[in-house]
Amino acid sequence: MTSFEIIGEIVDIETIAVGSTIRDVARLRKQYGPGRWRKLKGTAMIRLRNGKVRLAEIHWYEAHGLGRKEFKRKRYLK
Amino acid sequence: MTTRKSSTPRFVICVNNAEYPASLELHKVYRVVPDADAVADGDLRIIDESGEDYLYPAAYFVVIDLPRPIVRAMNKSYRTAQPAV
Repeated sequence: MTSFEIIGEIVDIETIAVGSTIRDVARLRKQYGPGRWRKLKGTAMIRLRNGKVRLAEIHWYEAHGLGRKEFKRKRYLK
Repeated sequence: MTTRKSSTPRFVICVNNAEYPASLELHKVYRVVPDADAVADGDLRIIDESGEDYLYPAAYFVVIDLPRPIVRAMNKSYRTAQPAV
C-alpha cells in the first residue's frame, strides 16, 4: 500500500530543479534510468492511509519516457 | 542528572524503501524533524536523500536511541552539509 493516494488533479505545477541541480539525481538515474530528470512540485488533494483527506504540496521527479516517480508530501495546506 | 524526554525521535533507520528507492536508502540513518501533526497521522518528517524534509509513514523506519555525543556530532554534520534541492 502506498503512503498516500492522490485524488483529483495536480494543479499549480512548477519545476523546482533540473538535472545536476537535483541533489539525488545520481540515485534517480541508478534506480530508474538515465534521462533529463526534473524535480517538480504541485498541489493536490490526497487521501492518507488513515482515511483523512488533505490538501497538500507534493513533490516528485519526472523524466521524459520514464514518467513520474516518487511522489512525496512536503506539507499540508490550509 | 537531568534526562530530557522527547516524544519525537531524533534519528531513525529506514527498514522499508520499496516506495521510495531513490529518496530513501535501506538501513541508512535519517534525521527526524519534529512534527506533532505528522506523528498524529502515523507519519514522520524525515530529511531524505534529497536533503529536504518530507512526510513518510513511520512504519518505514525504526527508532534508534543514540548517545548524546553522537547526536551532537551528527547534528553538527547536518549543519555543515551542502544545501538541498
